Amino acid sequence: MAQEFVGQALVRSDAVDKVTGSAMYVADIRLPGMLYGRVLRSPHPHARIVSVQAGAALKVPGVIAVVTGQELDALGGEAVRDMPFVARHRARYVGEPVAVVAAVEEKIAEEALKLIEVDYEELPAVFDPVDAVQPGAPLIHEEVGHYTHIGAIRPVPRSNIAHYSEERQGDVERGFGESDYVFEDTFRIHTVQHGQIEPHCAIAQWGTDGKITVWTHNDGPHRLRKDLADALKLPLTRIRIIVPYLGGGFGGKGGLKAEPLAVAMAWKVSPRPVRILMTREEVFTASLVRHAGVFKIKTGVKADGTLLAREVIGYWDTGAYAEKGPTVVKQAMVAAGGPYRIPHLRLVGYCVYTNRVVAGAYRGYGIPQVTWAYESQTDMIARRLGIDPLEFRLKNLLREGDLLPTGQPAQAVGLEECVRRVAAELRWGERPGPGRGKGIACTFKNTKTPSGSAAHVSVNQDGTANVLTSTVEIGQGARAILAQIAAEELGIPVERITVSFPDTDTTPFDASTTSSRSTFHMGNAVRLAAQDAKQQLTRLAAQMWHCGEEDIAAGGGLVRIRDRGENAIPYPALIGRCYGAGGSILGRGFYYPQVGEAGEMWSAPSIFWMYGAHGAEVEVDRETGRVNVVKLVAAHDVGKAINPVTCSGQIEGGAVHGLSVSVSEEVVGENGRILNPNLHDYKMLTAADVPEVVPIIVEFPDAEGPYGAKGIGEPVLAPTAPAIANAVEDATGVRIQQLPLTTERVLDAIRNTADAAAKSKE
Amino acid sequence: MPMVKKREIVISVNGTRYALEVKIYDTLLDVLRDGLGLTGTKEGCAAGDCGACTVLLDGKPVNSCLVLAVEADGVEVVTVEGLAQAGKLDPLQEAFVREGAVQCGFCTPGVLMSAKGLLSVNPKPSEAEARKAIAGNLCRCTGYVRMVQAILHASDSMPGCQDSSEEE
Repeated sequence: MAQEFVGQALVRSDAVDKVTGSAMYVADIRLPGMLYGRVLRSPHPHARIVSVQAGAALKVPGVIAVVTGQELDALGGEAVRDMPFVARHRARYVGEPVAVVAAVEEKIAEEALKLIEVDYEELPAVFDPVDAVQPGAPLIHEEVGHYTHIGAIRPVPRSNIAHYSEERQGDVERGFGESDYVFEDTFRIHTVQHGQIEPHCAIAQWGTDGKITVWTHNDGPHRLRKDLADALKLPLTRIRIIVPYLGGGFGGKGGLKAEPLAVAMAWKVSPRPVRILMTREEVFTASLVRHAGVFKIKTGVKADGTLLAREVIGYWDTGAYAEKGPTVVKQAMVAAGGPYRIPHLRLVGYCVYTNRVVAGAYRGYGIPQVTWAYESQTDMIARRLGIDPLEFRLKNLLREGDLLPTGQPAQAVGLEECVRRVAAELRWGERPGPGRGKGIACTFKNTKTPSGSAAHVSVNQDGTANVLTSTVEIGQGARAILAQIAAEELGIPVERITVSFPDTDTTPFDASTTSSRSTFHMGNAVRLAAQDAKQQLTRLAAQMWHCGEEDIAAGGGLVRIRDRGENAIPYPALIGRCYGAGGSILGRGFYYPQVGEAGEMWSAPSIFWMYGAHGAEVEVDRETGRVNVVKLVAAHDVGKAINPVTCSGQIEGGAVHGLSVSVSEEVVGENGRILNPNLHDYKMLTAADVPEVVPIIVEFPDAEGPYGAKGIGEPVLAPTAPAIANAVEDATGVRIQQLPLTTERVLDAIRNTADAAAKSKE
Repeated sequence: MPMVKKREIVISVNGTRYALEVKIYDTLLDVLRDGLGLTGTKEGCAAGDCGACTVLLDGKPVNSCLVLAVEADGVEVVTVEGLAQAGKLDPLQEAFVREGAVQCGFCTPGVLMSAKGLLSVNPKPSEAEARKAIAGNLCRCTGYVRMVQAILHASDSMPGCQDSSEEE
């Protein structure tokens, strides 16, 4: 049956608000009596805080209050509660908050910061994850292992290891023994920043009734409510989170960012609201970055190209606090062997503290890093064996029914289709021109499981409907597709449906808008809620018409007696007849996937997996090392595109994001200090830099997803870097094993290879 | 602390004239957002790198975070709120909506103003010219793909632009 709304390229409902400048973001909110907070930050990567003297700052006219860590005992963190709202006795990275000032104007608060005196005692620091796990490295958290943490995390006491994960399948030593060739290679990946154009901002108000309201751009409002409640030891009902539009997220606006600073200050100046707006420099130095890391990958293979065994050891630089680092490492390492049939696997991950800015959730949640390692090596292995890299992949790819690393059989596997479509778009069989090369890479990603989403659908007396949901609009188009799903279920036009903004006092529980989970989980919840609403309408109609509920059909905006076309009446007429004084029908849906116990060896089942492949055609200038990406192709299996335009938009944006972080962006640091914390020296690609981008939507419907839909936002940048590096090797014969692919790095590699070749001829 | 110096300026914004008292360190962006409550123009970096604060100043796109309010005395400013006329969207706004060129929307006002500045002097830009015109506006969501298409389609649909070649 053709769908009227789902699968249609409908114009998203928030587009007009956004093109007219009327869409509201947190920094656009003005509240009566609002104060402006600015943050004093540690200049040292590791130091004991001996004393904080704010007396002089408090004397500045217009300054209302100062709050320091010594006054507030609050430790927060999703996986591990290791992070104080404001540093108490120790600063662990350059940029850590040490004091907050609130004043009637931002500039006054800024001036007052300069008058706060802090006495520090510097401590030895460590900046590299491999160094940080060596015996004798400075200990960043003495309390490792003693912090409250979720059950799945394995900290190593008296070390800098926030989490250690090890997953095994079969016996890798046996696998290597049976292999014809064993290859060992090391890959490095750098630090990048999310680059959301909207800087971090939160407004908090600690009311006279003790209720804390926070206006923020957080991607998990109910999660934030819980995190604040846990840290402050308050019941959930004392905290209310309100989320307007987000100006981009990519993982950087979850957890505790500007919110704890605003709450700490609001506590001090209760009941006045306080705004914390981060400068772009603070966004770079003190919000969040992506995990840098070192990956050692050892693979055993038969001469005919069959993969037998793979061992991956990853050292992940999580920075000064855990944030989501432990779950990033855990989930990504499970997939670190790649989307291939490999009987023997050993996957080891170290989530390591360093005295650097905090690393955490970043689009892909660790999958880009492991994909960089395994897809670079997979290509190298194919070339070393003299097998075409496309053929090598097709030989080993996961297919329907193959066992996933979690022991589940793979279903709805659009991986091969993605790889073939990319190869076709690149005209893989045709050799590119001189100085040019082609490369392919593929990936797969789980979604966090289990996680729950609830929705309410209210059918109003005029036949319109409200969808109440805590899913956040980050730009991905969630509000649009949830309206499309509600429209399809109810049979009401999408223009007569309005979707709420999250407010934890009124919109029901949702785990988060992360992990590409919302279309699937919240989409299912909206479907269930719409079905519940229709069930209630059915019951009303049955009472009204004095028949059984089984005789009534509800859908397409009407209720009618089955097999009888006449007497069909629209929802508003039914509601009006039954509730003459006004009323609504409130449907409720809660989706929480049931997963069986995963095999004891694996602890990360996923209710669905996403598959994708990218391809690149590049031109490399051997004189300068400049890599010019001429064409970028990105194919993703989304199950079902609820809205093909918003879905393509995510693929296009993700591919360009992936390109930008592969060739152009790098957070450069020295001794824990970031040297380029601005958008001039941290180079995000502009419209003038972007090549031809070809997005390809592949649909292998998932049995459990709403209309077959899975997800898209997370994996879209994972395969780009290795696809480009693979194309660079195709073009030049040179393999780069470290990102980013800057001109210097590529040129050095070309020269070293030429030197080595020249020497071997001597 | 010494009292902050203030100055009076007269500025036209979206066709309306305002007489304002501004601090000497206020930027045009501060005046628009805080002084006049026109929050459509965004602050992304306060350093002229991201373009989120782009407005038209006497017809030319500028980063309003780099213009001091006192420099804007006597000028005409157009912000994103001034694009739609009499409740009707500008062809650029229509094209962005139709083409799916809007995701999070935070860079959108700045991009629209850069594009408006381009089309008012170059009604039929090439793709390269369109890309160059918005090269000062960073976007992380869209990859710029549909924005460029939208600008080119908007120029196609604008009245009086179709047959400029006939004038030669």
